[in-house]
Amino acid sequence: MKKIAAYLCAFAALVCLSACGPSKPTLRLYTWSDYLDLDLVKEFEQKFDCKVVIDCFDSNEMMYAKIKAGGSGYDIIQPTTYMVKIMAEQNMLQPMNLDNIPNAKYIDKSYIDRFAYDKTLKLSIPYMIGYACIAYNKKQLGQIPDTWGVYDTDKYGKRLTLLNDMRETIGAALKYKGYSLNTRSDKELAEAKEVLLRWKKNVSRLENEAYKGGIASGEFYLVQGYKGDLFQVLDENKDLDFMLPREGMSLSCDDWVIPVGAPNKELAEKFINFMLEPANNAKNMVFTMYTAPMEEAMKYLPDDLKNSNKIRLPKEIMEKSEMIEDLGDDNAKYIKIWDEIKAD
Amino acid sequence: MNPADTTAKPSSLTHAPSPIGRGKFCEVSLTLPSLLWLLFFFAVPAAMVFAIAFKTADSSGGIGSSWTLETIVEVFNFNYARIMWRTVWVSFAVTAICLLLAVPVGYWISRQDKKYKNWLLLLVVIPLWTNFLIRIFAWRLLLHPDGIIRTALVSIGIIPEDVFLLNNMTAVIIVSVYTHLSFAILPIYAASERFDFSLLEAARDLGAGRFRAFCLIYLPGIKRGIITAFLIVFIPALGSYAIPDLVGGIDCELLGNKIAFRAMANRNLPEAAAISVVLACMIAIPFIAFVFGGGRKRADGGARAETEAISRQ
Repeated sequence: MKKIAAYLCAFAALVCLSACGPSKPTLRLYTWSDYLDLDLVKEFEQKFDCKVVIDCFDSNEMMYAKIKAGGSGYDIIQPTTYMVKIMAEQNMLQPMNLDNIPNAKYIDKSYIDRFAYDKTLKLSIPYMIGYACIAYNKKQLGQIPDTWGVYDTDKYGKRLTLLNDMRETIGAALKYKGYSLNTRSDKELAEAKEVLLRWKKNVSRLENEAYKGGIASGEFYLVQGYKGDLFQVLDENKDLDFMLPREGMSLSCDDWVIPVGAPNKELAEKFINFMLEPANNAKNMVFTMYTAPMEEAMKYLPDDLKNSNKIRLPKEIMEKSEMIEDLGDDNAKYIKIWDEIKAD
Repeated sequence: MNPADTTAKPSSLTHAPSPIGRGKFCEVSLTLPSLLWLLFFFAVPAAMVFAIAFKTADSSGGIGSSWTLETIVEVFNFNYARIMWRTVWVSFAVTAICLLLAVPVGYWISRQDKKYKNWLLLLVVIPLWTNFLIRIFAWRLLLHPDGIIRTALVSIGIIPEDVFLLNNMTAVIIVSVYTHLSFAILPIYAASERFDFSLLEAARDLGAGRFRAFCLIYLPGIKRGIITAFLIVFIPALGSYAIPDLVGGIDCELLGNKIAFRAMANRNLPEAAAISVVLACMIAIPFIAFVFGGGRKRADGGARAETEAISRQ
């Protein structure tokens, strides 16, 4: 009994110590897993004498629900652009003081003009661009053509997967047909549905997560997936290669934002500025294998990546690629054909 | 837990007459915890789901303030009907296979020597010691295109080169049967344990063949166990989500997956709730049929009547 009491006391003391011990400011980040080089985070902690706590989310929707419920106490979040728009429209974000973020000037103008939600960068600053492309097993399939049409052939033996994501998957079919993946046209969507019904016969699963393990283990020979994920698997298995469909792909970008009610706004701005430093941004690119919209940072990449299309999307493909936009009420059109494809 | 316990008469009836007030008080206070539990963790959430099904959705994923019947009407369109049909036939197939396997196993275990019975039951239950999801992932390895089972089957020529064991309805049914089989064996074993096997001998004496005696005497005798096994497999199968999601293919979306898709990807809670309401009704129908149908009859009554019928012939 005494022993238990002693343990309890020791535990209580520990709780007290950890609660009131560090007087250092704490910066709380809410982001995707493996999305920041932790060495850089440590460097920031030392430089600014603070503590950085990172929490992860695995979908924008989950993050949104948590922030919407209130009282989360996060200083920085990294939502995808479409979610930035929703959050900004609901006044969940606060403008940043760009005097504290001078490195924002390095963000490519061409990117801002074409894609950024807030062209002034006050509400959101782009961090990394990703896209959904294709990884395949070159030992099993040999060379494959660089087109979404790979899903139209049955010679790959039904070991293909598409993403289980309405906009990404219908988007791939729209791109294959040469249409915008944000189309609102019923005719174009009907054509995309025909394409997908054809592809469906050659596809074994719609898969958002297990495609990584699936292609690594040889269960699948060709998968549609997100760039960062695929390149991690490519590193592990030398039989695999990637393919960028010439018709274009979906782009997405995660932005730095500061939510309303952030406890350490100024420190958050310093953190964003630190990460946007071109040399640091390059380190994050190497770590995540995503692409920062910052030409200035490319100089600091290791030689083998500097001009590799692993980091740089070829210009012709970039021009044909688009960002998925929130379509408001027309979203229902996509839901309808997605339901029909799944029910068929 | 022996399912037979639930059929025992309430203890207050078998006791010698006691002051009515006190007996009632005891009864109420004993049921109160489970009643409250059901109220807060079942009735209230279920009522909320029912209510949300009649609310409008707003575009940012919230629940609107006005009421509508449209969502629930929408659930009866053609696309849903196909998925509902798929869900029902898969659940029936899974239940039927489970029963076909569970009845002989339950019979066999109950006929074993007392020494071995508990060990055999333990073997039935052991798989449940491992997490459900881990077991599904284990099946993914077993059924893998380059896995041991398919490689073997292809090399002996039982299945052709282009047939896969994973990512299709067959995989969903195999894994569902595996997951639910223990739950089907236990009630059938329990009913079989209470079955009076001398009735089978009587039937044989009166001229019934082995098979006939089994079908006409044994099966009706364990009817209650079979019904329990049916419900315990069929109801979760109707709502299954993880199994079709993890081992099913592109054609294997069931109602559970649809609900998840509506709630998470579409952020349309009213529509997710409306499908849940329909699913709840689909589950309620066999259950109500069970409660108001023959479910309350005594288990071996049927068997005795059958023996009498045979003897009269």
